[in-house]
Amino acid sequence: MNKIIVIGGGFSGLTIANKLAKKARKYKLDITLIEPKDHNFYEPDLIFYAFNNKKLSKLYKPMHKLVRKRVNHIGMRAKKVETEKKKVILEDGTELDYDYLVLATGVKYIEKDFKYSEQKHIHHFYSPPATEKFRQMIKRFKGGTIVISPSTVPYKCPPAPVEFTFMLDSYLKKRKLRDKATIKFLYPLSVPFTVKEAAVVVAEMYKKRGIEFVPYCNYEKVDIENKKFISFEGEEIEYDELVLLPIHEGQDIIKESGLGDKEGYVPTDKFTLQVKGHPNIYAIGDCTDLPTSKAGAVSHYSAPTIVKNIINQIKGKEASAKYNGKTICFLVTSYQKAMMLDFSYNHPSRKYGLIPMRIYMLFKRLFRFLYFHILIKGII
Amino acid sequence: MKKMSKEKISISIDARGSHCPGPMMELIKAIRQAEVGEIVELLSSEEGSLSDIPAWIEKAKHELVDMIKEDGYNRFLVRKTR
Repeated sequence: MNKIIVIGGGFSGLTIANKLAKKARKYKLDITLIEPKDHNFYEPDLIFYAFNNKKLSKLYKPMHKLVRKRVNHIGMRAKKVETEKKKVILEDGTELDYDYLVLATGVKYIEKDFKYSEQKHIHHFYSPPATEKFRQMIKRFKGGTIVISPSTVPYKCPPAPVEFTFMLDSYLKKRKLRDKATIKFLYPLSVPFTVKEAAVVVAEMYKKRGIEFVPYCNYEKVDIENKKFISFEGEEIEYDELVLLPIHEGQDIIKESGLGDKEGYVPTDKFTLQVKGHPNIYAIGDCTDLPTSKAGAVSHYSAPTIVKNIINQIKGKEASAKYNGKTICFLVTSYQKAMMLDFSYNHPSRKYGLIPMRIYMLFKRLFRFLYFHILIKGII
Repeated sequence: MKKMSKEKISISIDARGSHCPGPMMELIKAIRQAEVGEIVELLSSEEGSLSDIPAWIEKAKHELVDMIKEDGYNRFLVRKTR
């Protein structure tokens, strides 16, 4: 048997494990998925849930409904990878051997200077509890300045803070509070988004909708007492409510196993998806240092390359399959409309998707069904 | 601008091949690590760096000591001033 271990059972880990399971019988694959959580939750809808009253529990699915039969799910945390011995050490000391390893460990959020749960006026929307705290605040909001900013780049889902800002604008208009609110969007670059072609459109829409954009603004710290965002460039920006994306870093297991860079991201060949210096280890999703978005779409489009390359290696061939950087994702611009971003390593975002349309919003809304019933199960 | 050869480089970053916003973020990280007065060298093949890096340096009130066009990339020398 060819022993394959996948560490991490988020969208990336589940997708790759389930796709490998489809080949298990033919290629004699023994697939183990290591993930301590007993559920998966659908993160992209948090930007909607921040502004509605629906139960956040709707976003969860138990792991046993998402894992294919031929995948052995171990509900424990992996502590370390010993690459020379080709072993994964679990939190209880159990050692598991592998022939091929896939790292799908994602990122972790750091609370360095303050705890979000203890700060009445500092929020984020990257987890259900944080989203719940934000929506309790926004329901009571009567007016003032709301500042939105990432704290580190890269961060998960580059469109998310832009989408959140558009949703906030739409929500406040709906409640007839928009003229009582100032929305400021701070960003480290000259434009408010990482995909340049879309960023130009977003910047124009911000202008039209009265959203103030502050370019070249990198988070340094918060003056909590005086309610000021302090930038690395020396600006002080006052807020009544601050939406600050959490600091992102790679997981401890990556650092402790000597598999990460300074931030704990895995140096990964952008074409073959092999971890640099380790031909039998692959990395997928947010844990990588790939020069593209940290987004589920990247995992979806890159997973087949990893499957093909593992099969190639089992057959004694080179890992010759290549990921071309293909990504398709949506960028919500209001309750009704979204853009569709379609780009790869070889071409910038296609122009046809840059006009906000209802049809793209429909796709975005349908996506949760596809995510849980088709994509995460590795069906396509 | 001063001549590059006279300047002692404290931190050097090779961000060639890195896409936007990679080079800019690498530079900001290095400036955070550097001491005031030290020089950070950045190599970038990303076209946007030509406008983005000088604009960021101006806003952050650091000093662009030199910007040199090399074969297929640009070399930026930046002094941390505060």
